This record gives sequence, C-alpha cells and structure tokens, in this order.
Amino acid sequence: MKLKTFHRAATAFGTACLLLATAPAVTAQDQIVLDSDVKVHKTTVDANGVEKTEMVKPEVVVPGDRLTFATLYHNTGAEPATNFVVTNPLHKAVSLASDADPALIVSVDGGKTWGRLANLTVTGEGGTSRAAGHLDVTHIRWTLPVVEPGARGRLEYPAIIR
Amino acid sequence: MTYVRSLVSAIALTGSVALATSPAHAGGIDAGTLIENTATATYDVNGTPGSVDSNTITIRVDELLDVTVTSLDGGAVPADSGSAVLTFSITNTGNGPEAFQLTADPSVAGNDFDATVTGIAIDTNGNGIYDEGVDTILGAGDNSGELAPDASLTVFVLVTTPGGVSDGDNSQVNLTADAVTGTGAPGTAFAGAGVDGGDAIVGLTGASNDALGSLIAGVVTVNLVKSADIADPFGGNQPVPGAIITYRIVATVTGTGSIDDLTITDAYPTGTTYRPTTLTLDGGTLTDADDADAGKADATGIEVLLGTTTGGVSHTITFDVVID
Repeated sequence: MKLKTFHRAATAFGTACLLLATAPAVTAQDQIVLDSDVKVHKTTVDANGVEKTEMVKPEVVVPGDRLTFATLYHNTGAEPATNFVVTNPLHKAVSLASDADPALIVSVDGGKTWGRLANLTVTGEGGTSRAAGHLDVTHIRWTLPVVEPGARGRLEYPAIIR
Repeated sequence: MTYVRSLVSAIALTGSVALATSPAHAGGIDAGTLIENTATATYDVNGTPGSVDSNTITIRVDELLDVTVTSLDGGAVPADSGSAVLTFSITNTGNGPEAFQLTADPSVAGNDFDATVTGIAIDTNGNGIYDEGVDTILGAGDNSGELAPDASLTVFVLVTTPGGVSDGDNSQVNLTADAVTGTGAPGTAFAGAGVDGGDAIVGLTGASNDALGSLIAGVVTVNLVKSADIADPFGGNQPVPGAIITYRIVATVTGTGSIDDLTITDAYPTGTTYRPTTLTLDGGTLTDADDADAGKADATGIEVLLGTTTGGVSHTITFDVVID
C-alpha cells in the first residue's frame, strides 16, 4: 500500500493533550488492533543459475540477512481513529536498510527528535556533528491523519542484521 | 491520564530495547541474540486518546561460522639448524564461540623440499614466541579450544627439515583451521549446532581458512684446502732432510646461516717435526701453548678453534714443519 507521512505530529500530540482535560471517558483502547510480523529475504540460485529471492519465515537468520518488519493495523471499531501514529523502535541488532524509503520519518536519538534521515544529524564524541546514516536510526514512525472504521493497512521497513 | 501513562510506557519500552543488546563484531551481532520488535500506535477516537502495542515478535540470531588464518612471519623462516617454528594467527570471524581443528600440511606444490611437521602448539603464555615446555603442544585430535567471536589465537607449527636439503631451498607449510561445528559451502546449515540450540550456518569463508608459512633452508658447508710450499737448505724446493714445509689451510664457510664450534686440526706428516712458533691464523701469530688464543701446537699436530663462523667467511691457517 502507499503510505502518507505527516510532519505535524508534534501539533497532533499537542492537540491530544489539550483535549485530554475535557474528553469524556470513552474507551478507545480496543479500537485498533496492531499485528507485528517479520520475514527474512532468502536468495536461492536454481539449476539454471537464476537467483530468486523469497520472503520466508525467519527460522534461520545470521548477520547480514535482510529482514522486513511489518506492522498491520486494523480499525475494528465503529469510529474513525485520528492522529494515528505508529512508532517502532529498532532493535540494536538491526539497522535500517540503506535502500529504505528516504521519506520515512525516523529518529536517531532514541525518539527525542524526528525527521527524514537526510535532515538529521548526530553528535559524535568530541561534540562534532555529522550527517546521520542508516546505522544511526533508533526509531521509525508513521503518521496517518485518519484510519476509518474497518480500514486496515500495512506499515513496513527493511532492516539488515548487524 | 491514559495518554500520559501510555507515553511513559512507550519511553520505558524504548529504554529496554536500547539495553537489550549485544555487541556487534566483525562477524556481526552475537549468535543467540534475540531481536524483538514491538510497534506502538497512538490515536484519538472522538477526541479520546488511545494507545495499543502490537504483539512482540522475536527472532534469534543464529551462529555464523567463519575463520581466518594468517601467517605472522615477516618472511621465510630460516631453518639452518634443522628445525624451525612457523607462527600463525587464527581469528574467529564468526559471531559465536567456536573451536577450530588445526591441520598443518608440509606438502605444498612448488616446494623444493617438504619439511616434517613435528607439532602444533598454542601460544599459551601469549607472548607471540614459541616457548618450549611452556606453550601447549596439541595432541592428536585436539582442537584450538573455544575462541570468542573476534578473538585471535597465535599458533606455532614446529617443523624439521630433512637431510639432503640444499642451501637456499624453499618450502611452504599450509595451516588450515576448520570450524569444529562443521565446514562446507557458504549457507550450509547445521541444525541445532549453534549458540543456545540455534542453527550454525557456514559463512563466506566456508568455516575453513588456511595460510602458508615459508621456510628457507640454511645449509652451511665448510671447505678446506691445504697446500704446501717447500724450502730446502740449498735455496731450492726439494723435500730433502732439513727442508722446511709451510702448510697453508684455507677454511671457507659457504651457505646461509652459521656453523658453531668450527675447529681445524691437522697432524704433522710422519718424518717431520713442527717448527715452534710458526702457527698463524689470518696472518697473526698464535702461541704454541694451549692458552687463551685460538691455537695450539703440540708434538703431534696443530689445533685452531674458529668458533661460530658465518657463511661467506674464510680463514687461513699456516704452520711449518721440518723434514727429519
């Protein structure tokens, strides 16, 4: 599916906090179902020397393998969910694949600040700043303005085992 | 307060993920590391904030079997005393602890001669030099012992050179390290043989690697040439009674390396008598007595101790006898 990303997530959080004081205590917890999934890319070469890559259950994985982590969301309720933000921390044993969508909104500082990777920097030892790279990504975040009742979708990122 | 609480728990989750890590090595993240992934969604429904975590998926990193072997010798190791020690380094470039079977093969194509491998030793005291009696010699079937990921081990291959080898002959010895778990084409899997019961997978090195160590034979040869000049009492060179024979012995050492305790002895011919104080070494006079200098002459012959002599050096010894 095609993803849309938003840059006004901070505004969305601010709105949520303001609404908190006045909102009635309606349970919204069961509205959304999230399901995580991971597949590993396995390349095989057939008798004709043709390479074929399959996405398979990660029964055997070793450093260097490529994984696809996916989060499937489903709005099972009757109301639309707005300001829908999915946050996925990356395990330190994996790094974001270098061919990941450059439009992904990521954090390189443990989720404190966010942006496209190309716009982020990291401060190294000695206080010098450098452009952030795929190895620096700690979190990925997707923001959807609304998930309608019954809507479902899939958010995914490619990763390499370090 | 629901929203605030869920935000706090999301931060706590982040913290636990950051801590639950293993160091990454050249061979990659440690075998047995559990990679967990959990996504969290926050949203509003009719203005009420909600949040939900996904299920947590966990995958275990399997063991990659890789090894490299390198020679640590700066060049060909001289084998001038009939034996030599070749030094190698074994590095576990996989991501799990692994032991390696070591095999030294002295029969390498192109060798001028094949050495005899008398043992493989581990640098037990870690000083990089083979210490006889200190560094453990591996017994038949012994392996390197378990090496941690990225760890290196210095290994010595002890060799002797066979007889009949010529000076300057070259030879190589091939040391192979095979992962004890198994070797094979990259991608070969050994089910359940890895860390924590995970699989062990052969990496790009095939879980086997080798390196050559070089030897150069140093064979030292001593060549003695003896000549004689006769001076008779009548101004001629006839071997008559009273004639003086000056013997000249030239000792030439050739080859690579050196020879120890080189001693030149020569007995006087029957019917001659040593002429006292005529013994010389390289033009310098030696006393006849058995004393601090290198030579002595007694009633039966001369003896000159040249000691340790390196290839390319020659010495000249002269002495006179009188025909009785």
